[in-house]
Amino acid sequence: MTEITNASADMRGGPDLVVRMEGVNKWYAAFHALKDIDLSVTRGERIVICGPSGSGKSTLIRCINQLETIQKGKIVVDGHDLTAGGKNVDIVRQETGMVFQQFNLFPHMTVLENCTLAPMKVRGISKAEAEKTARTYLERVRIPEQAEKYPAQLSGGQQQRVAIARALCMNPKIMLFDEPTSALDPEMVKEVLDTMIDLAREGMTMLCVTHEMGFARQVADRVIFMDRGEILETGTPSEFFGNPQNERLKTFLGQIS
Amino acid sequence: MPLIRPFGLPEFWIIVMAAQWTIALSAIAFAGGGIGGLLIALLRVSDAKWPRLIATAFIRVFQGTPLLMQLFLVFFGMNIIGLAINPWLAAAVALTLHASAFLGEIWRGCIEAVPPGQREAATALGIRYYNRMRYVVLPQASRIAVAPTVGFLVQLIKGTSLAAIIGFTELTRQGQIINNATFSPFMVFGTVAAIYFVLCWPLSVLARRMELKFSRATAR
Repeated sequence: MTEITNASADMRGGPDLVVRMEGVNKWYAAFHALKDIDLSVTRGERIVICGPSGSGKSTLIRCINQLETIQKGKIVVDGHDLTAGGKNVDIVRQETGMVFQQFNLFPHMTVLENCTLAPMKVRGISKAEAEKTARTYLERVRIPEQAEKYPAQLSGGQQQRVAIARALCMNPKIMLFDEPTSALDPEMVKEVLDTMIDLAREGMTMLCVTHEMGFARQVADRVIFMDRGEILETGTPSEFFGNPQNERLKTFLGQIS
Repeated sequence: MPLIRPFGLPEFWIIVMAAQWTIALSAIAFAGGGIGGLLIALLRVSDAKWPRLIATAFIRVFQGTPLLMQLFLVFFGMNIIGLAINPWLAAAVALTLHASAFLGEIWRGCIEAVPPGQREAATALGIRYYNRMRYVVLPQASRIAVAPTVGFLVQLIKGTSLAAIIGFTELTRQGQIINNATFSPFMVFGTVAAIYFVLCWPLSVLARRMELKFSRATAR
């Protein structure tokens, strides 16, 4: 396994805080989905969040670009206080890329159109320039030849790589991954993970909800375990997998390995 | 000229020509209902509570009352607020409101049939409401909407026949007039029905074709 150094993180402006969550609480009606979450992420840090289903891990990262709103607490992303509302939410969404379990590519647009829509409509970049950027990122996720196709014509792994390229076209400061490989056939998991590993090597700040523990070991700076809406344990991969403290984490690790 | 004349070719052509008013009324109601329906549908899927409530109330009123009563209420209502009695205007307004409510409800369903992940993906990319609707949600919803929309247009064309009762001379009313002169009700209303069929049937075929085409195009 390759060790990824943190050196590239410094190129992106030093280890300042990119995400700061303080006392975050969220309820779905009576269901307490997030309980007093405190989490700080520094620039260039790669974080893997795991836990049983329904533990709140997806909800947690969806709060960072406010796909979910919180009822209590504070979230600051790259200096923009989401809880203060207003323009901050728009700014944060523009600076945060997200990759979903179900890809969520726009089925009525070609791969290239999927990648150029947001840069053109949100950033006001010209079509020619947006397409140039899109082709660069499609090259990086190794599917430049699929640019003119529609999502339905691609395999799941290819679709997910397009989704990653689409997010990167907005030149985000943070990438959020919400179980990016869970909907994929086993033989396609690796191609998506390899793309994510490349991204990690380049120093992207990443928060990944995933069950891929091999990826966590190889890439993560910190692994977080959540259950029933709480963060129960945080540690480097070697601490986390080698010497877990929490009983529920021990049970969880026993079940997945 | 005898009091009762036979039903012949001239009478037949008078009825056929009256179809233009049925088509004109349908076209106005469909165009007006298209604009109103889009507005109602968008209000109906709004995040804010009041627009949603107002649109829902509008839809419920028009779905829960007969089209004939809607025509009467607009026709006589216009008189009460001081406008001259005008069957043309009353029929156009009533059918436009009627079509707005029904198309609004049909299109709301189509907008909600677009998977929520589509909206989320657009939102996560920083795309705001207007562009999200325009480029991501509505193009997908419109594909789903084609068949039920054409289906409603067929209902609307047939519904314009009720405008005969408030004295608007379209296909059905012209039939009644000719029948009063010829007293051959089976021939007259057979002709009227046949013309409605000729107008509506190709639309039904078209709706089915488009449904097939779009279901192939959007197969995931």
